[in-house]
Amino acid sequence: MMEAFQHPAGSIAVAKPGGATAWQGKLLHIHVAPSASYEMEELQEAECVAGRGIVGDRYFEGTGTYSPKPDVREVTLIEQEALDAISRNDPPLQDGPITLEPRDHRRNLTVIGVPLNHLVGRRFRVGDVILRGGRLNFPCKYLEELLGLPVFLPLYNRSGLNCGIERGGIIRPGDSIELLTS
Amino acid sequence: MTARLIMKLRVANMRFTTPDVLHLQLVHPLRPALPEWSAGAHVDLRMPDGRVRQYSLCGDPDDRSRYEIAIKREATGRGGSVWVHENLREGNEVHISAPRNNLPLSDKGKRYILVAGGIGITPFVSMARTLARQNKDFTLHYCARSAEQAPLLAELRDICGANLQCWFSADSRRFDPAVIGPYDENTHVYICGPQRLLDAVQSALSAWPEEQVHGEVFQMTVDENFKPEPFEATVASTGQRFLVPADKSLLDVLRANDFPLPSSCEMGVCGSCECGYRDGLVLHRDKVLPTSKRQDRLMLCVSRARVSVTLDL
Repeated sequence: MMEAFQHPAGSIAVAKPGGATAWQGKLLHIHVAPSASYEMEELQEAECVAGRGIVGDRYFEGTGTYSPKPDVREVTLIEQEALDAISRNDPPLQDGPITLEPRDHRRNLTVIGVPLNHLVGRRFRVGDVILRGGRLNFPCKYLEELLGLPVFLPLYNRSGLNCGIERGGIIRPGDSIELLTS
Repeated sequence: MTARLIMKLRVANMRFTTPDVLHLQLVHPLRPALPEWSAGAHVDLRMPDGRVRQYSLCGDPDDRSRYEIAIKREATGRGGSVWVHENLREGNEVHISAPRNNLPLSDKGKRYILVAGGIGITPFVSMARTLARQNKDFTLHYCARSAEQAPLLAELRDICGANLQCWFSADSRRFDPAVIGPYDENTHVYICGPQRLLDAVQSALSAWPEEQVHGEVFQMTVDENFKPEPFEATVASTGQRFLVPADKSLLDVLRANDFPLPSSCEMGVCGSCECGYRDGLVLHRDKVLPTSKRQDRLMLCVSRARVSVTLDL
């Protein structure tokens, strides 16, 4: 048996404070795509509009692949930790590691230190913007086709979080992310 | 159905390869390597008004730093080439999809015969390059009015050497499909060019199995005698039933009912909207599906059905 905190995932997480609650996260990257299937573009600053989305993104414009469906897609987030695990083929679901760059995964915000799977039904703050966790994101075959990479299974259960925007504002990479308890 | 990424590329270089054919080199402003492709592939070019046109890649599949396309100005065409000629300049941004290949080189052949007419030469530049690299036995027959009006001729002479045979009408040399010779089980024939060239070669090779005769045409299926009739489509997974009226496509009706489906040319040539079906008598009308796939696949943009069809959606 392997000692739990020696595992590649455990050894990284053990050094970080917090768990499902007392965590402190950070926004690493912001990406938007102007329309369905278009490559994601990185922004150094983005405007979040309550009830709508990120200005310039396909789900703000209503031109996304899934825009016609009633759903929560104003902002989508994914954990850098999940991307790191996939890049070391952990767990070994495919032939080898897959490098999924922040511009490739098609979620808007790449974050670190944020336990996204615990934030359904929770409010949290990214900089001055307040997001509401609506549902867990689910990987889609569409992404596999766009990337030409077998990412469906590796992303299962760590595909990120779909959120609504409660309070709009400007976000930037480096902004802190915190759970709101009140 | 295959979704493809759309990229904003930059026109790094453009020059006339003949008086009416522009040869463009496209690069990604941020990524050093573009999505990979193989000989025979094409990309979609999206114009600002939303129209989409397909162009074969005519560069080197081993060079991922750029895509090359060649576009003939066709004043009587559907407007795509005129837009490119009048609007695109070096340094401009152009919206290009990741490549798709509807005309892949078979790896089963020992001998390859490529027949191109005019601008139909474009997919054969990469094919000839690939065949030459693999030391395969091949001949490229290039039909055009004259050397001056034969796009990419200099590159092809470099790539093909003695494997290039030019048939220029100005020199009174006209291509005769008889030069392909009798049927040979190890030979694959590829044809790209005007419909009359495809028809001529395909009828000369009518005794060959269709797996060995490959053609590509980027133009609308024109059948003046076809009169669309309404029919009913059932979605296998949900049991939903939709009426497809005579003036709407399956694609139109499904999209109106919240099925997010990819498409591109919407005239049955690009293959983006391929979909499975279970039962029903399907009127295919596309130019992309091989006969072997028609029993259970159709193209949502142009295929219709008699009375009803069940879709694997």
